[in-house]
Amino acid sequence: MSSSKLHPLYKQLLRAFTSRPSDLKTSGRLLAELKVVLIETGLIFPQTDYSTQDLVIAREILEIGAFWSIRTKAMPSFDRYFSQLQTFYNDYSSILPHSEREFPIRGLNLIRLLIQNRIADFHTTLESLPLPADELIANPFIRHPVNLERWLMEGSYSKVWNAREEAPAEEYKFFVDSLMGTIRNEIASCEEAAYESLPLKDAATLLFFRSQSEVLDFAKQRGWLIDLTRGVITFTQKGEEKLEIPKEKLIANNLAYARELEQIV
Amino acid sequence: MADVEMKDAKSKSDAKDDIATPPLSPVSEIKSNVTLIERAVSTLEPRFTIRVLRSLTALRKRLDDKALCDAISEIYPQDSQVRSSLLSWLPASPTQDESMEVDPSPSPKTPSETVPETEIYFRLLILHHLLASPSTYSEAINLANETVQKIQSLNRRSLDPIAARVWFALERAYELGGELSDARHLFLAAQRTASLRHDDETQASLINRLLRSYLHYSLYDQADKLISKTNFPTSAPNSQYARYHYYLGRIKAVQLDYTAAHTNLQQAIRRAPAPKLAPGFYQAVHKLFVVVELLMGDIPERSLFRHPVLEKALRGYFDIVKGELPVSYSVRTGSLSQFQTTLSAHAVSFESDRTYSLVARLRQNVIKTGIRRLSLSYSRISLRDICVKLHLDSEEDAEYIVGKAIRDGVIEGRIVHEKGWMECGGQKTGYGPEVSEMFSRRIGYCLELHNQSVKAMRYPLNAHRKDIVDAEGAREREKELAKGIQKGEIDEEDAMGGDF
Repeated sequence: MSSSKLHPLYKQLLRAFTSRPSDLKTSGRLLAELKVVLIETGLIFPQTDYSTQDLVIAREILEIGAFWSIRTKAMPSFDRYFSQLQTFYNDYSSILPHSEREFPIRGLNLIRLLIQNRIADFHTTLESLPLPADELIANPFIRHPVNLERWLMEGSYSKVWNAREEAPAEEYKFFVDSLMGTIRNEIASCEEAAYESLPLKDAATLLFFRSQSEVLDFAKQRGWLIDLTRGVITFTQKGEEKLEIPKEKLIANNLAYARELEQIV
Repeated sequence: MADVEMKDAKSKSDAKDDIATPPLSPVSEIKSNVTLIERAVSTLEPRFTIRVLRSLTALRKRLDDKALCDAISEIYPQDSQVRSSLLSWLPASPTQDESMEVDPSPSPKTPSETVPETEIYFRLLILHHLLASPSTYSEAINLANETVQKIQSLNRRSLDPIAARVWFALERAYELGGELSDARHLFLAAQRTASLRHDDETQASLINRLLRSYLHYSLYDQADKLISKTNFPTSAPNSQYARYHYYLGRIKAVQLDYTAAHTNLQQAIRRAPAPKLAPGFYQAVHKLFVVVELLMGDIPERSLFRHPVLEKALRGYFDIVKGELPVSYSVRTGSLSQFQTTLSAHAVSFESDRTYSLVARLRQNVIKTGIRRLSLSYSRISLRDICVKLHLDSEEDAEYIVGKAIRDGVIEGRIVHEKGWMECGGQKTGYGPEVSEMFSRRIGYCLELHNQSVKAMRYPLNAHRKDIVDAEGAREREKELAKGIQKGEIDEEDAMGGDF
């Protein structure tokens, strides 16, 4: 059986990944090889009985894979590893010993959903966590995304900005940049709706930019009008929507009523 | 110990029942039900079966071993196989010693006129009886499995309403036996079969079973997928609909789709049986309903919390409402912290209701409602005042929060950054396309109601024959008349006049 290959490869991976700084290139190559081995042994979607030890190793390989994808910023790959890990976390939770990487990975997944603005998914995932509700706040890995979500929903963007360095695990920092991107876009869309014009300097502070040139670039992306001499951004106004009578809809409705009345009388 | 006590209590209540209701003993009620079922099968009228099943809840509480044994012995002849297989599930009574032999695959060839529906009905009764005491749960699971297999091999449409109830009993057996997730694959397989056979009642029951099983394990993702992939049969009975709407409401609430959750829960409440009959369901739906209503920014009516059935169950939620009332009406000080204390005080009960995370979400709503109230009462307000009134940490926060509220359409207005205030836009006039939309929705509802009631009317079989005969007679007469006119025997004007 090819499980004889599993153990040496796994040891190599562990060495490559835990060395400081971790050897991402070798890890990637080893992960690809290990995935083939896992599929050959059927450990990737375990259906029959395997020894607990093999299952733990398989889980660990997938976990390293998930971390590795975040370090190399490969989101789709993280997504795949995470869904493969679901089997181990949910269905085998009574057989396998608890993995200390489980909650960091679940937390990372929550942040990923947050960044992609999939709030409904975020809440369904949160709801299905195997934790009683008051422990959600106690667990540092889960508390972080939960707080972020609350602030984002409230609109307390400055709190999000301040919390960006308080990541509970190293991997969380890899999300900071994309998180900032999400926040800036959120703020920008709020500003478009809420202001008629805004001084450049204030726009920079609101958007957490350090220099004016960054603001200018960002403004260009969003298509804002900039008056450089006065130093003011004007937001393009969405013209007042004209009140129009939806004729076709009204006609269709009336015809439908006529038909129904005909049936009754 | 508990077991013995329960049995004692049960026999006592049985005895009391016998004294209290002498007119109809369980045995005679079962017998009359059996005749009803037979009539249902012979006339192809499912409503007789449904009438029988309606009495199930009341009957269930009065069942005991002896009543069941007697009823079975009276319906089935001595040498019937069905009889022995049914009796084998009950504790042996002294007269039926030979019936202890379990026949695992009895072919139901009843010599007399009894239909298989009757047998399944008896099995259902025995199942409910077994579920009444914890010591027989494992037996109940076995019986339920065997019954279900039987139903599927029989494949009779007149069996559907009873089958739906059997599935319910199966779920209950697995749940009480503590292995609800083990039954899931059974439900999934049966659901496929049922939808292929257009067995609407079973399908409705099974979809609810599956949803319940998913939600019990917090698998909202799977539940959502199940809903999007299945069509809930429109002909399902009200009780199933009520459950379905409740589960749907739960899922939608978790997914932040409060409007949809609200509509579904309202439907569930409307379709639910009277509060006194099914207090558990009524309370569960209302708990969720109150939370969703709060999340939508509305305040539930006070009278709801004084309802005799709900008063006790909703106490924690009432405290939350009381905590929130000041915030939404006058934005008084300290209410956010009060909200927090209520939340922790009732954490355990929210946790067991599985509404904790929903209630926790209310926090951000408190702020949103506050801003909306402010924007209605002021035409211009400085950011600092907002910050003070809503207990926000800084003016900067206030600016972001107000900006977000404007973008999300919570309020109408703009921020003037240089002067540091918010200007609130005028209210929209009440006339526009929305009005006609509202009207058309209400008219649509009325028309739908009319159509549904027309559909719900029942017509006796073959009643239209009489009309056909009448119509033919009329045609004959007309022909004669026409002939007469042609011959000039009857004057046309006269004929007309006569008609009028």
